[in-house]
Amino acid sequence: MIKIKDLKASVETDDGAVEILKGISLDIPAGEVHAIMGPNGSGKSTLSYVLAGRDEYEVTGGSVTLDGEDLLELAPEERAAAGMFLAFQYPVEIPGVNMSMFLKTSINSIRKQRGEEELNALSMLKLMKTKCRELGISDDMMKRAVNVGFSGGEKKRNEVLQMAMLDPKFCVLDETDSGLDIDALKIVASGVNAMRSPDKSFLIITHYQRLLDYIKPDVVHILADGKIIKTGGPELAQELEDKGYAEFVGEAA
Amino acid sequence: MKALKLDNLPTPKVEEWKYTNLPRAISADLVDAPVQEITIHKTRGQICGQAEDILFTGEAGALHSLRLKIILEEGAQLTVLERHDGSGAYWKNMVTEIEVGAHARLNHIRLVEDSGEGVNTNMVHITQGADSLYNGFTLNIGGKLTRHEIHAEIQGQNAELHLNGLNLLAGQQHGDTTILIEHQAPHSQSNQFYRSLLDDNARGVFQGKVHVHQIAQKTDAYQLSNAILLSQGAEMDTKPELEIYADDVKCSHGATTGQLDEEPLFYLRSRGLSEKAARQLLIEAFVDDVVEKIGDEELEARVSKMCRQWLGGVLSIHHKGSKDTKFLKENK
Ligand SMILES: Nc1ncnc2c1ncn2[C@@H]1O[C@H](COP(=O)(O)OP(=O)(O)OP(=O)(O)O)[C@@H](O)[C@H]1O
Ligand SMILES: [Mg+2]
Repeated sequence: MIKIKDLKASVETDDGAVEILKGISLDIPAGEVHAIMGPNGSGKSTLSYVLAGRDEYEVTGGSVTLDGEDLLELAPEERAAAGMFLAFQYPVEIPGVNMSMFLKTSINSIRKQRGEEELNALSMLKLMKTKCRELGISDDMMKRAVNVGFSGGEKKRNEVLQMAMLDPKFCVLDETDSGLDIDALKIVASGVNAMRSPDKSFLIITHYQRLLDYIKPDVVHILADGKIIKTGGPELAQELEDKGYAEFVGEAA
Repeated sequence: MKALKLDNLPTPKVEEWKYTNLPRAISADLVDAPVQEITIHKTRGQICGQAEDILFTGEAGALHSLRLKIILEEGAQLTVLERHDGSGAYWKNMVTEIEVGAHARLNHIRLVEDSGEGVNTNMVHITQGADSLYNGFTLNIGGKLTRHEIHAEIQGQNAELHLNGLNLLAGQQHGDTTILIEHQAPHSQSNQFYRSLLDDNARGVFQGKVHVHQIAQKTDAYQLSNAILLSQGAEMDTKPELEIYADDVKCSHGATTGQLDEEPLFYLRSRGLSEKAARQLLIEAFVDDVVEKIGDEELEARVSKMCRQWLGGVLSIHHKGSKDTKFLKENK
C-alpha cells in the first residue's frame, strides 16, 4: 500500500538548509496500523507534512508510493484525491469559512478529481449528521468557522470527523490523542477502529501508550533524529513507556 | 470645508496627503462641469424604510464639483446608497456634509466604481449628536486615484460611529482612505474596519487617526486595517494614530499587510481543494468579514456579488500564469 524508501527532506532556514528527515524507510501493507513514537523534534510531524505535500519541506532523496503511484509528484489536493489523509497535530483555524460548507467543498473537490458525481446537499447533510453523532460532535459546531474558537479536543475530533467523511485509504494521525480527555480518546479511537479495513492503512504518531491500548498497532517504529532507529511489535510501545527514549537512542548511536 | 481648485491641489508635502499625489493624477485640461448639489433632509422622527439611491457619473474631460448634504434631525432614520461610476478621464471633487442628530440613525453605503482613468476625491464631514448611529461602508473597486477623507466629530454622548470599507484594487489603481475621528463627548464608540486586496501595481493607503478629547471619558475606539498583497508590485501604506487626552478610555488599533497565509492554504489543499479554490475561499472569507458589517441582507448580497465578480477576474488571471504561487515561494 504505502512504501516509503530512504526518504530525506530538509527545510530552508536563515542558516541555510537543515536536513530533518535523514533517510526513512517504511512499508505499511494494506490493512495494517503502524505507530511512530519518538522524542520531540525527531521529525514526526515533518514526515507527516512531507507525505501530505507541504512545499515548505524539500524532499532531497528517496521515494514514496501509494498503491504504486508516486506521491511526491502530486500536489497536496491530488494526494487527497489519491486517498491520503493527514490529521494535523495543530489543526488550522480558518476564520470566515463555515464548517459545513468546508466539508461539502472538500468532499466534492475530491469526488470531482476522482471523476465521481458530486454529493447532493441532502446526502451531504445526512453523512455529516451520522458522522457527527458517531464522534460526539454537536451539529452546532458545523455552523461555526473551521476550528475557530474550538477547544483543543474539539479540534482533534474535528480532524477525525473529516477523516471519517473523506474515507481515505491511507491515514496519518499526528498526535491526534494529545489534548483529548479520556472519553474523547475512546470515541476517537473507536472512530478510527470503525474505519479499519483490509484495504486501509494507518500511520499513528503518538507519545503515549494509552492511544495504542485502544487502537492496536501491528508495528511500532521509533523515530529519533530523522531516522527510524527501532522497529518492533506492540510490545515496543510498552517498553518505551517503561524505559523512555534515552536507552534506545543510546543503543542506536 | 475647503474645496479643491485645480491650481491649488494638495501635494504629498501636506502631511495628510503624504502618500497620495493628486496633482500628478489630474490632467490640466479638464473643463468645469456645472456644480451638482444634492441635499437630503429628514425631519424629526422621520423613519424611512426606502433607501435613497444616488448615482454620480463622471464624464470624460470634466471636472465635477459635487456636493452632498445629508441631514437627519432628531430620531430620523435613513439608508443612503451612494454610487459612483463614469467613463474616461475626469475628476470628481466631492464634498459631503453629514449631520446625524440625536437618536438618529444613518446607514451610508458607498459603491465606488469610477472609470479606470477617473479621479475621485471626497471630503466627508460628519457630526453626530447624542445616542446617534452612523454606519458607513465603502466598497471601492474603481478609479485611477480615489481618496476618501473622513472627518468625524462625535459631539454627543453614547454615539456609535462605524467606518468600514473594502478596497479591491488592481492595475495602477491608487486608493486612499484617510480618517480623523474626534471624540468630543464621553461614552461614545467608534470602529474602523478596513480591508484591502491589492493586485498588480495597485497601491492602498490607510491613515486613521483617533483623537480623544479630555472630556471624552469612557470612549471605546477600535481600528483595524488588513491588507493582502496579491502580487509583488502591490503596496500598502498604513498609518494608524491615536491621540488621547482622556484617562479612562479603551482604544486599540491593529494593522497587517502580507500575502495569503500558507498554513490555511495548505490545510485546505490537504482536504482536496485545488490551489485556486483554496485561495478563492480564503479571499472570499477575508472580504465577507467586512461586507457583513453592512447589516442589511439585500445590500450585503449586492455588494458580495460585486466583490465576487472582481475576485473572479483577478483569481482566474492569477491561476493561468500561476504567478502568485511563484511569488509566495520567493517571499518565504
Ligand atoms: N519550518 C521549519 N523551520 C525550521 N525548523 C523546522 C521547521 N519545521 C521543523 N523544523 C525542525 O525540525 C525538527 C523536527 O520537527 P517536527 O515538528 O517534525 O518534530 P516532531 O517529531 O513532530 O516533534 P513533536 O513531538 O514535538 O511534535 C525540529 O527540530 C524542528 O524545530
Ligand atoms: Mg509533531
